[in-house]
Amino acid sequence: MSSTDTDLVVETVRDILTSFEPFVLTAERPWDAGLWSALAEAGMTGVGLPEEAGGSGGDLADAVAIVATLAQGAAAVPVAEQLLVAAPAVLAADLDLPAPDEPLSIAVDGAVTAEPRDDGDGPGSWTLTGTATDVAWAGVARHLVVLATSPVGPVLALVDVTGRETTHAANLAGEPRGSLVFDGVTCAGALLTDARADELRARYALARAVQLSAALEQVLGWTVQYAGERVQFGRPLGRFQAIQMELAEMAGEVTAVAALVDSAVQATERGESLVPAAAAAKVRAGAAVEVVARLAHQVHGAIGFTQEHRLHHLTRRCWSWRDEAGTELAWSRVLGERLLADGPDALWPALTRVV
Amino acid sequence: MGSNSLTLAPAPRSAAAEEVRAEVRAFLAEELAAGSFSTHVDTWLSGVDPAFSRKLGERGWLGMTWPKRYGGHERTAMERYAVTEELLAAGAPVAAHWIADRQSGPNLLRYGTEAQRTAILPRIAAGECYFVIGMSEPDSGSDLASIRTRATRNGDGDWVVNGAKVWTSNAHASHYAITLVRSSPADPANRHAGLSQLLVDLSLPGITVNPIRILDGGHHFNEVVFDDVVVPGDMLLGEEGNGWHQVTAELAFERSGPERFLSTYPLLAEFARRVAAAPDPAGLAALGRLSARLLALRQMSLRIAGALDRGELPDIPAALVKDVGTTFEADVIDEVRRAVDVVASLDSPDPLGRALAEAQLHAPGYTLRGGTNEILRGIVARGLGLR
Repeated sequence: MSSTDTDLVVETVRDILTSFEPFVLTAERPWDAGLWSALAEAGMTGVGLPEEAGGSGGDLADAVAIVATLAQGAAAVPVAEQLLVAAPAVLAADLDLPAPDEPLSIAVDGAVTAEPRDDGDGPGSWTLTGTATDVAWAGVARHLVVLATSPVGPVLALVDVTGRETTHAANLAGEPRGSLVFDGVTCAGALLTDARADELRARYALARAVQLSAALEQVLGWTVQYAGERVQFGRPLGRFQAIQMELAEMAGEVTAVAALVDSAVQATERGESLVPAAAAAKVRAGAAVEVVARLAHQVHGAIGFTQEHRLHHLTRRCWSWRDEAGTELAWSRVLGERLLADGPDALWPALTRVV
Repeated sequence: MGSNSLTLAPAPRSAAAEEVRAEVRAFLAEELAAGSFSTHVDTWLSGVDPAFSRKLGERGWLGMTWPKRYGGHERTAMERYAVTEELLAAGAPVAAHWIADRQSGPNLLRYGTEAQRTAILPRIAAGECYFVIGMSEPDSGSDLASIRTRATRNGDGDWVVNGAKVWTSNAHASHYAITLVRSSPADPANRHAGLSQLLVDLSLPGITVNPIRILDGGHHFNEVVFDDVVVPGDMLLGEEGNGWHQVTAELAFERSGPERFLSTYPLLAEFARRVAAAPDPAGLAALGRLSARLLALRQMSLRIAGALDRGELPDIPAALVKDVGTTFEADVIDEVRRAVDVVASLDSPDPLGRALAEAQLHAPGYTLRGGTNEILRGIVARGLGLR
């Protein structure tokens, strides 16, 4: 797909979103199944995945554009996990990609071990044991990519989790983040090098950074709009210098995040070392949440503190996404370590290589 | 948000920029090894070294984007970005030529006469001719339109200038001041009318340069007093009465470069040495957090370099870079102090303590020079459609 095609998929997703308002997620209604069906029917849940593997074609930029558009719409569907993390990992490991209309998610946390099966199924077959925690879309995803440990190194396992029991847990926005227990489950899988396992985690972090960047931009847009409409003391809030300073500060954060996240995505497209770029993008995006969400709520006043206004759909997600797929602190340490890998005198060359 | 004037397209990758970056890096390593300079914080204000500036000129690293007929090298803004960034990261002494190369030269290219360009630009590109900014006055800081330095035409068609400019960095070591003057009486209905820019030779009779010391005792700032200074009529820069417009364009050049987030980079580099010597999770995390911010700023600034190469003058994104970047410069100090035990002192045997002291004593300037962050946020608010 070209950039024209990217515009086209964005337009398609926006069209679909007009029929699906964000809602308050609960244990009973933890995702937007209708929206997912509409996206799947339009082929949007297979973008960035090759047609011969059952996908819709297109490149990473197209998939990123879809994820960003859905993040701006506070869409409760596992598209970021599927398009940017789990499905590319399945393909890279040479495993069979599940049908793109069946939600696929990723589990990197918890303690899951994989034992190679020697029953003649070959090294592609493993037995999973243990608990995956903080699983995005647990209970919703039909298939799960699990990053497990084995005596011979990290294993990427692909498990059918349809109907499998999950403990309910949710992030601050109500998105499902429960646990799954595996008690000797047989599944397909592939050995990874440590470096590939690190890259998988980094891709997950970058996916969250893409979502954060898009959501923060939308939060700024909503806040500027609100400041233009809400009248106090006889003029719109946006006419007050104090409010203008806050909105400008938000704009600085949003612009910084967008510049770095876009560059990290491009570095990924070029096949460059992903870990430092993704770490930096995730850390920068997370840091911006502090400022942008706080000031957005400040400007929106009391109505933004309620579920009656749309603002919370994005601010609650941002507050969680910054902690997920590796915390900001963890990625900060990773970035610090990577930048010092060639010694402190090489810090500057290392910085200029990240993105 | 749909379209907004804050967002620029990502900068294109530039192989040429990476090539010149490697050349500059090798040059700086040699110069450091030879002891021709030592690394300091905020050297684009404080590191005046004409010999070093001439070396850069000899290598073609000044006036890089200008036409060759004016001594320039017709290279891209991306290449210039790589050169300036490397110099700043090394804490090299670049103050002598900095203003001339960054904004006075481009201002002359934009508005200067052929004679002015031919006479001056090749000397700037050679690292031999230095400029100061004649904008602020004792009673005019952020409110630049309120300046009172006056220029009136005499019978010979020359300008007679009276008044005073302040915070003129390195006027005592420079050759020209592009001076914003009121060339016709103030019009309360249009405060921006009646301003002009003059190209003032600082050796002219009637000019007095008085030092103003900054917090660390350094002499960089000056007061430049004009007492019936006769400036030749052909030293008007641009159009009479168009000074406000010209100065605004000039400030856009001034606001977007890597010096708006790298002034305290040498402190970050020293901090990295401390962390590497005894790595602990808190130190590594602080280094990571600061680096993530720096990396985002690089991309913002690179996008502006890319926009300049496309012939755009992105004033609002430039204001954003300076707001976010200068805030970062000062935050480096705070983060370092929270992460490791260090006492700031210019006399410290510990290089980290010295860098911290230099950074701290220069810190108030970061968010003031080139337009205070409050002014910048006003510009950004305009970009958001709020003004």
